[in-house]
Amino acid sequence: MTDSHLAQSARSARLQQLTQLATNQSTILVGVMILLTIVFSSLEPKFLSALTANNILTDWGSVALIAVGQTFVIISGGIDLSVGATIGLSGVVSAWTMANVLGVDQTIKGGEASGALLIGTLVSVAVGVLVGLTNAFLINRFKIVPFIATLSTMGAALGFSVIISKGAPIGSASNFALISAIDPKVNPFSWAVIVVIIVVVIVGLFLHKSRFGLYTYAIGSNSFAARAAGINVERHLTKVYVLSGALAGLAGMYVYLRLGAGSPSSGTGRELDAIAAVVIGGASLMGGVGRMLGTVLGALILFTVQSGLIMIGVAPDWKKVVVAVLIAAAVAVQTLQSKNRRTA
Amino acid sequence: MSGDVIYEVKNVSKRYGSVVALDGASLKLHAGEVLGLVGDNGAGKSTLVKVLSGAHKPDGGQIFLDGVEQSWSSPRQALDAGIETLYQDSGLAPHLTVSQNVFLGREKLVRGPLGALGFLASKAMETEAHADLERVGIAVPSSSRSVSQLSGGQRQAVAIGRAVAWARKVIILDEPTNHLGARQAGEVLHVIQAAKSKGLGVIFISHTLPHVLEVTDRIVVLRLGKIVKDAPTAEFTSDSLIGTITGSIQTIKLDGD
Ligand SMILES: Nc1ncnc2c1ncn2[C@@H]1O[C@H](COP(=O)(O)OP(=O)(O)OP(=O)(O)O)[C@@H](O)[C@H]1O
Ligand SMILES: [Mg+2]
Repeated sequence: MTDSHLAQSARSARLQQLTQLATNQSTILVGVMILLTIVFSSLEPKFLSALTANNILTDWGSVALIAVGQTFVIISGGIDLSVGATIGLSGVVSAWTMANVLGVDQTIKGGEASGALLIGTLVSVAVGVLVGLTNAFLINRFKIVPFIATLSTMGAALGFSVIISKGAPIGSASNFALISAIDPKVNPFSWAVIVVIIVVVIVGLFLHKSRFGLYTYAIGSNSFAARAAGINVERHLTKVYVLSGALAGLAGMYVYLRLGAGSPSSGTGRELDAIAAVVIGGASLMGGVGRMLGTVLGALILFTVQSGLIMIGVAPDWKKVVVAVLIAAAVAVQTLQSKNRRTA
Repeated sequence: MSGDVIYEVKNVSKRYGSVVALDGASLKLHAGEVLGLVGDNGAGKSTLVKVLSGAHKPDGGQIFLDGVEQSWSSPRQALDAGIETLYQDSGLAPHLTVSQNVFLGREKLVRGPLGALGFLASKAMETEAHADLERVGIAVPSSSRSVSQLSGGQRQAVAIGRAVAWARKVIILDEPTNHLGARQAGEVLHVIQAAKSKGLGVIFISHTLPHVLEVTDRIVVLRLGKIVKDAPTAEFTSDSLIGTITGSIQTIKLDGD
């Protein structure tokens, strides 16, 4: 090969890398984010502020946690509808424990309650783990499809949280000052959001760099092949649903901190936000495909749109329509991409 | 010449609902022997493969490895015992890369605490997978490519390369020359010969009878889940093999019933 040939092939390799980058789901999502920011801030200059960013990120936090778990579940070829109800149940159980066992009440200040909060967090996560174990048991033992199995636990979790709370929020100290520890007017990141980001990064590394993540993709891609390669598919799926449940429990604590109370309905419908984030992020409901960065950006877009629409004065009901359009667009882009790849 | 019996099934049967896929089949595989397993579509070949690989539990019958009775409860146990299987289809995970497929279930981890957490040594696996496949002699593009982007023949090459790389005792190849061109199919026959000369027992399944006649030492013919003939390859002609498979040549019942 001559030098000019080499240079040419290097150039075409670089071109290929560039086209790959341009059609990459995450690149598209970043582009959409930038576009949304430009549109909203030109319609409403106040949109471009630390306060708005703080609001968006605070909303993002709880859904990001369950969307991260949902990413694993969807890549494995399943779905977890129970995460929204688990937020409510874990928040209620945790609030109940803190109020009735640990004596946390309205008079307590954030700093004094840190021990109780830690125990509350553990309780919350434990409740999530229990829901996850139940999902895995139904799916593995009785071969119930994940959609139905998690729909059942969703109903049960909602029922239990209403029973335990008698339908009313269990309040304790109303302001633990954790969600807004840093001045929201100048800093978009609260401590709680920083914790969420750390969790997302760690769990994301496990998805893309570890055997645990690899097996999740393998099972979603071809569960027969995964089993034939010696993977214990049932045991792995148990771990995946437990992870999803545990993160929902953590999200339950996050929402509790935000509301200052455990409320049975506090997570209702959040599972759909999470699924939307995962799908917008480029995952396939058929399994085997998905990226953590995509999910994170998907959730961010979801809340940017919602808060942008409210700020420019669009009636809140439109929010649902816009989210629906976003999901449809994401799936359409995905289908086009995979078609291109096949004919290329 | 062939050595001791390494793998044996006695009287195995398997039904899928009302379909009897295997009906009291028995066979012996010797070390350093290539055994051809032939039969019409639906004869039960792939079912027997899945019983031998631990993917399916037989309804009845016994399995012996090196004379020790085994009851595989999962493919993992058979793999750990040195038995590798290439399945007729769906043996690979299409969304994973070539090297991820080659190493699936046997990943290399990075050293240190991250390795303890299950973090993968992807680069090392890519390099090794590439070398494994090169040994098979069928060119596969970069081992960091996802399998869904390979041609049917390239996928088949990956599956063969994986089986050959890991097999220690027995290698079961269910229609390995499917999707392959003439030259690549020839390579596969070489790979089979190489495995045989290393002392492995090879079970080779194919509808391409010239290949079977060329590469095997012994041929077992399955018809409707029953083994109707088990004889040295030298005793078959092309015509008698076809006749035995289709049933136009009557066979003596082996079980004496
Ligand atoms: N998972 C299954 N569920 C139900 N029936 C099955 C299943 N797998 C195989 N069978 C049936 O068992 C019988 C034997 O099938 P098998 O796949 O073992 O045949 P084969 O000899 O490998 O055929 P081919 O040459 O077409 O690959 C067939 O009648 C088939 O329909
Ligand atoms: Mg078959």
